Amino acid sequence: MPNENSAKRYGVVAQGLHWIIAALIVTQFTLGWLADDLPLGMRRLGLLARHKSFGMTVLMLAVLRLLWRLFNRPPELPAGMTKTEMFLARATHIAFYVLLFAMPFTGWTMSSAKNYSVSWFGLFTWPNLIAPNEHAFDLLRSTHHLLSDALLALAILHILAALKHHFWNKDDVLIRMVPFTKSEGRK
Amino acid sequence: MKRCFAAACAGLLLSAAAAAGGVAGFTADAQQSRLEFVGVQAGAEFKGVFHKFSAVVDFAPDALQSSHLDVQIDMNSVDSKDSDRDKTMRGPDVFDVAQSPTAHYATKTISKTAGGFSAVGALTLRGVTKDVPIDFQFAPGPGGATLSGSAKLKRLDFGVGRGEWKSTEWVEDAVKINFSLVLKPKS
Repeated sequence: MPNENSAKRYGVVAQGLHWIIAALIVTQFTLGWLADDLPLGMRRLGLLARHKSFGMTVLMLAVLRLLWRLFNRPPELPAGMTKTEMFLARATHIAFYVLLFAMPFTGWTMSSAKNYSVSWFGLFTWPNLIAPNEHAFDLLRSTHHLLSDALLALAILHILAALKHHFWNKDDVLIRMVPFTKSEGRK
Repeated sequence: MKRCFAAACAGLLLSAAAAAGGVAGFTADAQQSRLEFVGVQAGAEFKGVFHKFSAVVDFAPDALQSSHLDVQIDMNSVDSKDSDRDKTMRGPDVFDVAQSPTAHYATKTISKTAGGFSAVGALTLRGVTKDVPIDFQFAPGPGGATLSGSAKLKRLDFGVGRGEWKSTEWVEDAVKINFSLVLKPKS
């Protein structure tokens, strides 16, 4: 399996980044939901410490992924897609990239605003982006929540679209992102 | 001759004063002085201050035997730039300000070190009294002096952290203290 994308399939790097980040995002939602309603306590601190470490990991991977995407043309969209479908597919992917950066950045800034600096798995501490400010924190927290709702909606749309391509259109849009599969025999 | 006599006389007076424990008496200027603590949550440092404290300092570098620092801290004035955390710290599991509204530090011995001075004093925090060493520097200036330094202590030595806060998994035991006192002559 080549590292780079081909005209038909995503390569190892694009597939790897896609699925690792997808798994991290599922973890992030779980940790975020578990911590959200807890009062300040050890359990909340622990959950949020992991949430922050994973979130900063997503940010670092998002940088790699964006660079890889910019220098590695993705496979062509299958023939037969309407202009509207192509626009929706592009818009969804662009929105995903925006959120891959916006989620960690609002979270990181939120932590700075509340004077809880972000450690990366206890190995090092990220610098604070802004000075402590409770009003800024409230605003950032709402933004972080709003963006997470958008991310969830987008992810549902993305999954439904991939399944529609696979089972309805019977094309290779889903399968070309799945490791250890072959695209032959599909449109 | 007259001048020489005056100088000798002043010298005699000074040494007499030192022999009798002639130290200069100061109090800390509340506006300009700062008392900061540095804790570690989830691998990342966070800083807070005590806004209200008073310090009485009797100090002369050449009369350390009769020099003395005495600091009273209003624990309710804790400010870590997050009202949730401050509320938790004032609560019964951490500082328990309802039962122990003030902390007190009084030096027992002061000695000269290579870089300045060090002292051992008794810290009373949450009703527990234990010796805590501090390192500091003393710089006389126009209209007073500055005294700045640091200390390290373990919060659990003083029972700061009960219930779930006794755990050191996400809040470390070690706490650093930094202080900078702007001293004015006692009035």
